[in-house]
Amino acid sequence: MTSKRSNIAPLAWQVSTLLAVLVAWQWAAVTNPTTHLPPLQLIFTRYLDLLWGDLLWSAVAPSILRLLIGFSIAVLFGAVLGIVIGSLRWFEPFLRPVIEYLRFIPAVAVLPAALLVFGATDTMRIFVIAFGSVFPVLLAAIDGARRAEELLTDVARICGLSTAERLFRVTLPAASPLIFAGIRIALSIALVMMVISELIAADNGLGYYILRSQRLFQTANVYAGVLMIGTIGLVLTLFLLTFEKRVLAWHRGWRGLSNTKSA
Amino acid sequence: MQPIICVEGVTKAYNESAPILQDVTFKVEPGQFTAVVGPSGCGKTTLLRCIASLMQPDTGSVLHRGQQFKEPPSWLSIVFQDYNRSLFPWLTVRKNVAFGLRDKNGRAERVLAALRSVGLEHAADLYPWQLSGGMQQRCALARSIVVTPQLLLLDEPFASVDAQTRTDLQDMVMDICRRMSLSALLVTHDIDEAVFMADKVVVLSTRPARVVEEIEINLPRSRDQLSTKESPEFLHLRHRVYTLVRQQAHKSTIVASTDRT
Ligand SMILES: Nc1ncnc2c1ncn2[C@@H]1O[C@H](COP(=O)(O)OP(=O)(O)OP(=O)(O)O)[C@@H](O)[C@H]1O
Ligand SMILES: [Mg+2]
Repeated sequence: MTSKRSNIAPLAWQVSTLLAVLVAWQWAAVTNPTTHLPPLQLIFTRYLDLLWGDLLWSAVAPSILRLLIGFSIAVLFGAVLGIVIGSLRWFEPFLRPVIEYLRFIPAVAVLPAALLVFGATDTMRIFVIAFGSVFPVLLAAIDGARRAEELLTDVARICGLSTAERLFRVTLPAASPLIFAGIRIALSIALVMMVISELIAADNGLGYYILRSQRLFQTANVYAGVLMIGTIGLVLTLFLLTFEKRVLAWHRGWRGLSNTKSA
Repeated sequence: MQPIICVEGVTKAYNESAPILQDVTFKVEPGQFTAVVGPSGCGKTTLLRCIASLMQPDTGSVLHRGQQFKEPPSWLSIVFQDYNRSLFPWLTVRKNVAFGLRDKNGRAERVLAALRSVGLEHAADLYPWQLSGGMQQRCALARSIVVTPQLLLLDEPFASVDAQTRTDLQDMVMDICRRMSLSALLVTHDIDEAVFMADKVVVLSTRPARVVEEIEINLPRSRDQLSTKESPEFLHLRHRVYTLVRQQAHKSTIVASTDRT
């Protein structure tokens, strides 16, 4: 009962807040016509332009492709490497300082170096996206693997699993709740790095589209591009949450139980 | 016939501390139910881990039918002390039980048969955290018998369940061992349990654990919670084991008090 009500009330609030912002925007745009505040219908038309037609192929698709490739590399690499590092208990303390240090380097700072090494290529942009988003996944996987129940590893050894099988069938699932938390953070970083990497020496992608529109004073296009980036982030997050909900169903039940027990 | 397990002069210490196990020697004969009793914290779990080859003893050896082995072998399985940490929380009961089965052929049937023999077939699709303690331990038991091992190692499997569940589980384990003609090695601090279930009781001393005495339990194999536990033979054997264990406890308090002075 109470949980239902507390779910509905914020949703109604969310919708009305959104509506209020839109109304305020439109009111400001109509009463005070400048190039800075284009009316909503113009932004919306430009937004739709991005969804079908040439712009889909020159702006939206390249961005999404780079994002997905870079982000997938980060997730795979981070999870696998993290699981391996985390389960080598004697090895982890040696690597820890290096990883902690690398983590503090903002991925943006690597951009010029990546440009030198890879040139103004897709490889460079994918590298920057992957580099930026790998650390949350890597650190979460290391932590998750370290916290995995040792007794379960013993069970797996008794069942005759090889080291590789143990990593995959015991350590990985045990670490998966933390890894998913890392992946969610990684996604937002990947999105940022996608845009930034396309602001430099690019000739396609959403970042480039926004930058060019700004130079041509096509304000509505700039806003449409920004909205499109938000949409991509939202859709990917929803995908991720749906996937996580299925994969981690056990974890909610298990944790929910131990919470009520300890309470 | 060669013994299933021959523990020969096993000594084990954790990191340069004083040894936990000191020259432990005993045998587990095929088809027999052997119980090791020792006070809490004396090194029973450590002993089982050495036998299962989850860790290697510092000196001494563990032989299976006269052969040494280095990795946990497939003819052996364990029910661990801590059932709620030894089941995979992300797998259902059915998949937990199937975890140890390599070969896909007849897998579903074998899992179902194991679940039936512990009376858990109705809970196959639940997760371990949805089960009571006794059911979780039965799930762990099903997982260790589904691979049809020769030897079942039991690490105080009934220590943290209520008295009624405990006697039920004792009967269930004895019944399974008889039907599958399994050899079993039970470690416990419960003397009644050891005498009631075993063909032979090995009494361990306090730290460092050594074998104080081996006592044959010549009670008839079909044992009953009421009549067996009331029989004079049972009471007599129980008395002997109790005396030995109490001597050990006494010794350790003397050692502790001389340490202090
Ligand atoms: N991994 C470890 N590292 C260091 N010391 C350990 C380790 N495991 C156990 N010990 C110590 O070894 C001793 C024996 O432990 P063990 O778990 O084998 O005893 P136990 O007889 O099974 O105890 P319990 O009755 O509580 O199950 C204990 O004092 C314990 O603190
Ligand atoms: Mg123990």
